[in-house]
Amino acid sequence: MKKITLTKQIIFYIALISIWQLVSMTNIWPNNLFPSPYEVAEDLVYTASDGSLFFGIGTSILRLIIGLTIAIVGGMLLGIFMARVEIVNQTIGSLVLGLQSIPSVAWVPLAILWFGLTDGGIIFVTAIGSMFAVTIATYTGVKNINPHYIEAARNMGAKGTQLAIYVLIPAAFPYLISGFKQGWAFAWRGVIGAELLFSFLGLGFLLNVGRQLNDISQVFAIMLVIMMVGIAIDGVIFKRLENKVMSRWGLR
Amino acid sequence: MTKLEAKNIVKYFKHDSHRLTALGGVNLQIEDGEFVCLVGPSGCGKSTFLRIVAGLETPDEGEILFDGKPVTTTGPERIIVFQEGALFPWLKVQDNVEFGLKMAGIPKEERAQISKRYLDMMQLTKFADSYTYQLSTGMKQRVAIARALVMDPDVLLMDEPFAALDAQTRDLLLVEMQLIWEKTKKTILFVTHNVTEATVLGTKVAVFSNRPSTIKKIINVDYKRPRLVEDQNLFPLQQEILSELRPEVKKS
Ligand SMILES: Nc1ncnc2c1ncn2[C@@H]1O[C@H](COP(=O)(O)OP(=O)(O)OP(=O)(O)O)[C@@H](O)[C@H]1O
Ligand SMILES: [Mg+2]
Repeated sequence: MKKITLTKQIIFYIALISIWQLVSMTNIWPNNLFPSPYEVAEDLVYTASDGSLFFGIGTSILRLIIGLTIAIVGGMLLGIFMARVEIVNQTIGSLVLGLQSIPSVAWVPLAILWFGLTDGGIIFVTAIGSMFAVTIATYTGVKNINPHYIEAARNMGAKGTQLAIYVLIPAAFPYLISGFKQGWAFAWRGVIGAELLFSFLGLGFLLNVGRQLNDISQVFAIMLVIMMVGIAIDGVIFKRLENKVMSRWGLR
Repeated sequence: MTKLEAKNIVKYFKHDSHRLTALGGVNLQIEDGEFVCLVGPSGCGKSTFLRIVAGLETPDEGEILFDGKPVTTTGPERIIVFQEGALFPWLKVQDNVEFGLKMAGIPKEERAQISKRYLDMMQLTKFADSYTYQLSTGMKQRVAIARALVMDPDVLLMDEPFAALDAQTRDLLLVEMQLIWEKTKKTILFVTHNVTEATVLGTKVAVFSNRPSTIKKIINVDYKRPRLVEDQNLFPLQQEILSELRPEVKKS
């Protein structure tokens, strides 16, 4: 079953690249606007061989990790308080819904004014752009915990921080994962978006360099890399985590 | 010595259109080491009563005295076992059993020693490293009982713990439950809707009336143990309980 899917996918991508190659050979669009897959690959090899590609990936991922960690820790704390303390939900809860609707890049001007053109600014954009997705997932998760779990835990002496760490968070984990997943997607958009606008390092920066140099194959190449990093993180980290949790929590 | 005393327990519930009086003044006195079975029509408030004794719910009138002192909150001396066990799916069997000990700050090695004793008693040793989704319903119920016994409570509160079991597994656990009670000398409050179960387990059976419920009748069961489900000698008592119960069920 898995093998068949993989085969289908490989055939699909080979076909896609072939069509891309054919279209670029017809010269409907000039070559400096629509590169061939070969040129893009060439560019990838080139940026990889001088190390700038890996440095860019590393920089972006490091910023992502720091920003996302802040978002996850902060988001879970806020979400738990919202779910457990009604007054927090009634007040801060409504604000969270509003903040959640602000796109990450809309935080960029504020980040530049507060942090200057620094890593701090990018991490701020990444963290704040993804935190509220985690908050809302945590809130929903904690609200949906089987009340018997909490009662049994309280009965056995768990309260406060202990209850949160040993019961609320693990019990809400199936929801938390979808929050992390959403948070990571927002964070990745945030990092790239912020780098594009005000960084001197990272994949977003490389993308911007491609634009400034009118190097269309670099733009294509970096976009591909951004996508592939996304697929890799989704597939390697989140799929596995999800599978494990789903069977452990008896959801499958 | 009186272990537990319910004094005129009244409990209301707010529903949208009306106020429902679940418990209408329950009085019950339970001596240390007694095994009291509670039977009554569905919805009469047996679970509610047990939750009040556990301190998970507060009565609107009256009070529960534990060793002569009023109960105000949940405590490790009164441990409840829920019908579905409410085991934590994110923990292995052994960690489930040790949960209360961990919350009490008991070190790992000591916890393992204590839990081993109860895992052995419940014939769960082989499954110590399993997750709850890997267990049958009967095994889950054993884990839930082990998790409660580990707390070494004075009073064990059990809310239809065997309701979801098949007949063979239940009969087995009915015998085991009697042995555990004889071995541990716990005071047990056991809710069941099964009259046979009540006469097999209880030193006495308390029959609830329909809402607003009170305790209508208390029937002593003086008969040698271990008692079996098919024991003909318990038959007259079962008939007596049923004749108390039947008019209440009709009213509801
Ligand atoms: N949280 C609640 N809110 C409103 N009403 C409730 C609540 N809990 C219980 N009730 C009501 O109180 C009554 C008693 O409920 P309870 O669950 O204690 O009955 P029970 O005797 O355990 O029934 P069963 O044998 O079906 O388990 C029911 O009529 C129920 O509708
Ligand atoms: Mg009930």
